Amino acid sequence: MIVAFFFNPERSFVGGLESEVLSWVTIVGGFTLLLGVVSLVRVNYSAVKRKSEDWIFKLATLISVFVMAIPAILPKNVSSLFGRDVGSIYDWLFNYVDAPMMSTMFAMLAFYIASAAFRAFRARNAEATLLLVTATLVMLWRVPMGEIALKSIHANLPYLINTYIMNGANLAVQRGIIIGAALGAAAMSLRIMLGIERTYMGK
Amino acid sequence: MNLVDFLQIWIIAFFTLSLFSFLYRDNPFYKLAEHIFAGLSAGYYVGLIWHSIILQQMINPMFDNGKWYLVFPGLLGVLMFSRFFKKYHWISRISLAFVMGNTAGIFLLSELHGKVLPQMQSTMNSLVPGRGVGGYILGLIVVVGVLSTLLYFYFSREHKGLLGGTAKVGIWFIMVSFGAHFGYTVMARISLLIGRVQFLINDWCGSIIGLFS
Amino acid sequence: MQIWLIPAYILLILTGVFLLYLAFKTEDRRYIYLAVAFYVIFPVLITLKLPIDISPEARQLYDAVESLPDSSTVLLTFDYYPSTVAETEPMSRAALRHLFGKDCRVLTLTTVPLGGPSIAERVTREIAKEFGKVYGVDYANLGFKYNYVAVLKGMGNSIEAIYPADNSGTPLSEIPMMADIKNYNDIDFIFLVSDNGVVDYWISIVNAQYGIRVGSGVTAVMAPKFYAYIGSGQMTGLLGGMKGAAEYELLVHKPDTAVKGMTAQSLVHLFIILSVIAGNIVFLSGKRRRKRGAA
Repeated sequence: MIVAFFFNPERSFVGGLESEVLSWVTIVGGFTLLLGVVSLVRVNYSAVKRKSEDWIFKLATLISVFVMAIPAILPKNVSSLFGRDVGSIYDWLFNYVDAPMMSTMFAMLAFYIASAAFRAFRARNAEATLLLVTATLVMLWRVPMGEIALKSIHANLPYLINTYIMNGANLAVQRGIIIGAALGAAAMSLRIMLGIERTYMGK
Repeated sequence: MNLVDFLQIWIIAFFTLSLFSFLYRDNPFYKLAEHIFAGLSAGYYVGLIWHSIILQQMINPMFDNGKWYLVFPGLLGVLMFSRFFKKYHWISRISLAFVMGNTAGIFLLSELHGKVLPQMQSTMNSLVPGRGVGGYILGLIVVVGVLSTLLYFYFSREHKGLLGGTAKVGIWFIMVSFGAHFGYTVMARISLLIGRVQFLINDWCGSIIGLFS
Repeated sequence: MQIWLIPAYILLILTGVFLLYLAFKTEDRRYIYLAVAFYVIFPVLITLKLPIDISPEARQLYDAVESLPDSSTVLLTFDYYPSTVAETEPMSRAALRHLFGKDCRVLTLTTVPLGGPSIAERVTREIAKEFGKVYGVDYANLGFKYNYVAVLKGMGNSIEAIYPADNSGTPLSEIPMMADIKNYNDIDFIFLVSDNGVVDYWISIVNAQYGIRVGSGVTAVMAPKFYAYIGSGQMTGLLGGMKGAAEYELLVHKPDTAVKGMTAQSLVHLFIILSVIAGNIVFLSGKRRRKRGAA
């Protein structure tokens, strides 16, 4: 990968080699997603077998896995309900059961953040006060009613918030974090390549 | 609205309200919805990997285009499952090493070339003359902010003296940025709730009203 | 604006204040949940039309797409999970309307395994129908491949090496529009819609090494980070959260769910600000009382 970076892929054999290696990586990596599924089935199966607490719900999990997976792997030329195309069981279960539930799980966070704002966000010191004041200004700036309120104080206030808070202080801090994190990632990559870092292998 | 659409909306509404019921207290409807969600998500991965990876990238090229060498990445992928056997789990390290080595090679250069250098270049260009007073003040804020933030995260030396003072300035910049983050995060969470409520009011309640009209 | 809306909204605000008072008195957070629910449900039922200012970053993205020659090829990504569709799907819809309106060829893909391919399929087909666009000629969905770093890097050489077939399993060689789209050299603009960190790699791998302009719509949680890329010129335009989606919907002259959600967004924000201020007033006055008592 490092050598290929310095070659024009269209003019050297390195490009073709790089393409092949990268397609191999996508194949190998795809199997890692299945590891999680196998693990889930194993854990829930043993819980159902032992009839542990809430085993009936774990049975529902197991049934859901197979109801979703089996029709998806069966050939679509046998029935339009099989496979992954629009109108299949797989597609229907995803669009009408799985996806809405995923959306709802995250939607509940709105209530928790409101509760946290009410109970926990206290201006205990100068830094926390600065954080809260900035948060309040940004929360007002990002909604139409808030923008109207800010403009009533000063017509240019939304512009000043965008320029000096978002494109000023925030940009500077994010840039510092990006530089630091990127240097860290590059250092970690070097350590992996030199064999110094082996935590990913479980050591 | 036909019967199929009506049933579909009611199924979505049932699971949505089951999950929301947790806000009042934990109950069997919530538990059922949660466990079904986990199962369906896992099942989704199986269908996706079977079609996108195993069929499209391995089996079809092998049989249709004669690319028999693709059995090797397939083998490497299958070796991942040796993790489930205590005696043979070390075999999975071969596959992991292949993926990690490739990713490390890409990251080493892309992080430096694609993030560090452009960001440093842009910071240095912030104080280029010819931007007016406002532009110069903004450039100064950016340069001071970047340097003080980087120095704040330098923990190899104790934050005393000049380093300590600069780190203190960095904290103030970080508080402003985190405040902005918090404001945006609140916005994000509320938006997700608005999406679900729009479905419940427009589609679900709409289907109920449709029954009587 | 209808005159009866004013007392209705005043009553709503007073209800929220009363629920906040009850939450303080009883220390039961479920009153807060109830207030949030009120402030979201009411505006969805009775929407107030509010003026929405267009941010410079959204304008920059819109202008970048608008300046593309008609029948350009644009790569539109659906890099988001179903959990964030409320913020990101309106961006995808508005982007597709803009691109199809300009007769651009749209190539879609996703690096998100859970739901990305299905969402891409559903949304593109729905919007394509509005414009009479034909699959395989005007748009194609490549689907998902694992390991986004390898995918992003690999498409620089050959898209077909990474995606031998589209999401439905049709070989790329059988898709008419893919005849002259071989790698990034044949793509004119990349429009990312994402809710995760893959945007960083589109910038550091694709934009940095192949020089293609990248614009993005991201969830509000991620948006503050990408101002750094806007400032360095690595990203051309940014839509942040539902407000960003609403801005783009207005720019393409098709207000949809994001614009409608802005009233509820405004009310809940004001309620949260009120809770924070009220909570801090109670906290600081209690602190002062304790100090006086100790003295």
